[in-house]
Amino acid sequence: MTFFAVDGLTMRFGGLTALDNVSFEVDRGMIFSIIGPNGSGKSTAFNCISGIYQPTAGEIHFEGECISGLAPHLIGRRGIARTFQNIELFGTESTIDNLMLGRHQHMKSGLWSGVAMLGSASSAAREEIENRERVEWILELLDLVRVRDRPVGELPYGTQKRVELARALAMEPKLLLVDEPSAGMNADERAEVGVRMRELRGELDMTILLIEHHVQLAIGLADRVLALNFGKPIACGAPEEIRQHPEVIKAYLGDG
Amino acid sequence: MLLQVLASGLSAGSIYALMALALVITYKTTEVPNFAQGDMAMVSAFIAYMFLTDFQTGFIVAFGAALVFAFLLGVGFEGLVLRRMRNPTHLNLIIMTLGFTLALFGLAGWKWGADQRRFPFPVSASEVVRLGGVSVSTLSVATILIAAVLMVVVFAFFRFTKLGIAMQATQQDPIAARINGVPTRAVVGLTFGISSVIGSVAALLTAPLITLDPTLMWDALLKGFAAAVLGGLNTPVGAVLGGYLLGVIENLFGAYVSVEFKSVVAFLIIVIVLWFRPSGLFGRHHERKV
Amino acid sequence: MIQSSRDHYADIRLFSGRGSWLKLALLLVVLVSLPLVLPGYRVFTLNYMAVFVIVGLGMNVLVGDTGQISLGHAGFLAIGAYTTVLLMTRLGMPFPFALPIAGCVSALFGFLLGLPALRLAGPYLAIATLGFGLAITQIIAHSALFGGHMGLVVPDATLGPFSLSGDVSKYYLIVGVAVVLALGVRNLSVTRVGRAFRAIRDNEIAAATMGVDVAYYKTLSFAVSAALTGVAGGLLALMTGFISPGVFTFTLSLMFLAMVVFGGLGSIPGAILGSIVMGYLNLEMDAFQELPVLGRALEDFSERFMSTVGLPNFGWVVTGMLIVFTILLEPQGLYGLWIRALKAIKRSKSADANSSLPGPGAN
Repeated sequence: MTFFAVDGLTMRFGGLTALDNVSFEVDRGMIFSIIGPNGSGKSTAFNCISGIYQPTAGEIHFEGECISGLAPHLIGRRGIARTFQNIELFGTESTIDNLMLGRHQHMKSGLWSGVAMLGSASSAAREEIENRERVEWILELLDLVRVRDRPVGELPYGTQKRVELARALAMEPKLLLVDEPSAGMNADERAEVGVRMRELRGELDMTILLIEHHVQLAIGLADRVLALNFGKPIACGAPEEIRQHPEVIKAYLGDG
Repeated sequence: MLLQVLASGLSAGSIYALMALALVITYKTTEVPNFAQGDMAMVSAFIAYMFLTDFQTGFIVAFGAALVFAFLLGVGFEGLVLRRMRNPTHLNLIIMTLGFTLALFGLAGWKWGADQRRFPFPVSASEVVRLGGVSVSTLSVATILIAAVLMVVVFAFFRFTKLGIAMQATQQDPIAARINGVPTRAVVGLTFGISSVIGSVAALLTAPLITLDPTLMWDALLKGFAAAVLGGLNTPVGAVLGGYLLGVIENLFGAYVSVEFKSVVAFLIIVIVLWFRPSGLFGRHHERKV
Repeated sequence: MIQSSRDHYADIRLFSGRGSWLKLALLLVVLVSLPLVLPGYRVFTLNYMAVFVIVGLGMNVLVGDTGQISLGHAGFLAIGAYTTVLLMTRLGMPFPFALPIAGCVSALFGFLLGLPALRLAGPYLAIATLGFGLAITQIIAHSALFGGHMGLVVPDATLGPFSLSGDVSKYYLIVGVAVVLALGVRNLSVTRVGRAFRAIRDNEIAAATMGVDVAYYKTLSFAVSAALTGVAGGLLALMTGFISPGVFTFTLSLMFLAMVVFGGLGSIPGAILGSIVMGYLNLEMDAFQELPVLGRALEDFSERFMSTVGLPNFGWVVTGMLIVFTILLEPQGLYGLWIRALKAIKRSKSADANSSLPGPGAN
């Protein structure tokens, strides 16, 4: 059984074809990069996988189950977390509350137990405390302790990106979709992102699907790479193959 | 019987169509559903009333004054209130129009009291003409004609005048319009002015039918929204058709099902349309991009 | 792996330290003694404000937390009030049983209204709820069961051995219910469900990818909000002794929205304070003339430019202007002002501390 497989994924918006018959497979524990110039359909692929778009055609399989067409929250509950290209945080909430939303699916308290939270022994309070303790190490890991109680809307761009990653990690996903982790960063920060991705894969039993505009970083990190251009797959293989693939070189040179 | 019902439906529908059109042209431009539309029109009707009774002017002067007032009120509301918001989220914009409507409602009540006043009008609601077996009041005939003429004028304005085209361009893509030299700020203000005038015509036609008091346009506002939802909040033609359709459906319901619950029809239509076709019968759906 | 010295319970508990217990005790003492020190007719006003506070809590869940809008909450208030009264008169049910059932009935309607709301955002939802509120009053006004335009008289109620006929006994019941509900709503807001509500408000798509069932929580929010408002409706019936469709108007729905906007969307203390202010305003609208100095000036102004018979409508002008200026000047309302004041105090304190430090480097 393949861990994660995309089969013939196609997405059309009106007359525009954003994804054209894209297929690939990801094994457990891999870092899999999707590269391609602007507008090549990378983020559209993520939106299809996480259920925000309903694909026009094709199937997505996760741990043997077909998940294409499921609502986003059901896909989230199956263990797929993601970050967004343009940062989609809960802006008025604090960092810790953003992370606690990552814990949403692992918690149970409903309306009544929430309302009746009296004292630290009540079930809702116990669950809160337990889960707050669980996310605390993520804050440490991503160096967010200092902004723990600040509303994330006030934080600088780079920190917001880290909060978004932290929130995805709080979900304890099996598959993590990371969209442009190094966007808007300088060379040093980019290198740090690379180190962090490797660390995450090492420390947490996680498979990472990575979209990255910066080709060197994307290829350097990956176990396997898929290259897209205008929504079509042009190459898929090991990093060295992709680096020397004539179509990939052409796509990037053509892009300028 | 059926023809009679259709005639009354058309007459009521004319008012709904005007309100719907007024709501839709501002909604298209600014994405603000203007809940103050009804009370802005109500105050304008009171202005006409003031001219007619206090100043003893003729109808032309009084109605002219009311429309000029309505235009200024619309432009003023946009320029002095809506545009000055610090955090113009959708929710805040809606709340702002609600606050404004409450203030207008209070002002009208303060100035003119809650008494129901008879509104003088050149044609009467009780005088009846017979047209092919159907008896309609002269007021209904006037309502249908005036509304139709006004709507034709408005659509022609959008279609054929330079200003109207500039307004449409602003509705479609404000940034592109500005780049192409359209003074978008002035255009948005103007849109509110025109929309307010259309609404006041509806109010001037409603006041003689019922009586004039500060709640004059509550019902018409809801019906205008229902019509706009029915036809599509983004499609002026659809909204107008929705207005006529609502008028007819409502009167059919009143004639054959229940008179008491006629007003509930509008709500039911809103719910049903939104459930099955959220963008209206004639509209297209937009999705948010991530 | 990494040990944390944080007390995680401190994040969510309501009262930490002796200071806040003291404040709570003080608040309770004030609430208990208010009706004893105020003149009798003022207790009625207090009851009215307490009912508004409960509605405000409900509006805050829906509008403040979940970011939905309702222009039809007067409809839920009516459902609660009429259900309570009909259960008492038709089925002979005692008030303490009728009230929670009324809340549940109202919640059911809220849930039903929430269903179409799932597919609607902003303007559409506002329009649908506007239609709902007007439809409810229409139905009530035209049905014999609900007493039509003439309204219904509310029978005397008892709570176990206690009679609930006097304003003071009603006060303790209504305020007691309000305090309990306020604590419940506060707990809700710091736990999983409340967080999901706010996530939907801030970013619906992100919330969904976190596994939050947006549809479920939106309808739940409507139901909770409607339940609170329904309970408030039952209490309103109890305190006024008479209900008619004329009470549950569109303007009342707007007033409910105004309370939470003025208080500060999303803040429970803000909602409570906003409701108290607006409740007072709504009830005392015709008493503007009695204000010292200002009342006289207002009357003069009315005589000269407006009309004296219309003066009670001045309250609507004030309410409307409060909304307009809140959104223009401080969209976070009273709560926002409070936060700003706290920040200013902090800044001036630290400025004082800095200026007392000797040496260069001060700016």
